[in-house]
Amino acid sequence: MTAETLVMPRHSPPDSRPAAVPPVSNTRLAVIMLITGETMLFAGLIGMYLIFRLSAATWPPPDLPRLPLGITVLNTIVLFASIVPMRLALASARANRPDAAARAVARTTMLGALFLAIQGIEWFRLVTHGLKLSSGTYGATFYVVIGCHAFHVLAAVVWLATLTLLARSRPLTSRHHAGLEMCTLYWYFVCGLWAVLFPLVYVY
Amino acid sequence: MTRSHIRWSTIATAILALAPATRAFAQSCAMCASSFGVNDPVTKAFNWSILFLMAAPYTLVAAVGGWLFFTYRRAAGRSRASVGRLPLATRRGAPADVPEEV
Repeated sequence: MTAETLVMPRHSPPDSRPAAVPPVSNTRLAVIMLITGETMLFAGLIGMYLIFRLSAATWPPPDLPRLPLGITVLNTIVLFASIVPMRLALASARANRPDAAARAVARTTMLGALFLAIQGIEWFRLVTHGLKLSSGTYGATFYVVIGCHAFHVLAAVVWLATLTLLARSRPLTSRHHAGLEMCTLYWYFVCGLWAVLFPLVYVY
Repeated sequence: MTRSHIRWSTIATAILALAPATRAFAQSCAMCASSFGVNDPVTKAFNWSILFLMAAPYTLVAAVGGWLFFTYRRAAGRSRASVGRLPLATRRGAPADVPEEV
């Protein structure tokens, strides 16, 4: 058998197999890298908090107001409850039910906004009671750590609101829901982060 | 001298060379040594913070790397289980779809 006896067919039939899809899409990989970076940012902030918290003789300082635990527990429930409509939105989009998906995304947006509103009221009350960013390491660490988390929640809420608006012109279907999937990942990250920060800053 | 002898003598030499350095490894920098006492709460705070910050990147890399590894391995197993029909080379003059005898 010589090399000339084996040739590829000149007009080979079109390949009907679907193109190879990578197990992890580039978009998902990018969001995971973003979340990894953000986690390291918060690891640095928690490291800073641990230094001040563990080296202080009394925490919180006696002349400063205590953090409101009751309203924050309520706020935590609001944030964790938002995971339910978020999951529902993703499941609805995958099941090709765009209206249900859009409604669930809107509900998640509202719960996220409610979390931010309650935290804003809490901060306002704390400032009026004398806990400011300049109130020593206690005030500074509290506002920096919790403020950084609040900023991330705000970014996620803006993302969710954008998804809600875009869902009107481009329904969330089983074929078009990559943005929702990435937003869900980010929302889980934001909620998971609060599960660490709340016991550390408010309870410990 | 066999290969095993060479390996063991290399390991023994490395241990002997590094043994005197263990005292030096246990020392901290001049600033930390003079600023913090043994039972100082600041020392304890720094120790915990350093441990936490040291563990964080390793945990993250292990978690993300492990997830990627298992996801790709599972996908490779799935694609092996469903190998599609590959385009076949044909003999010159033979119909395009006739598989070649190997």
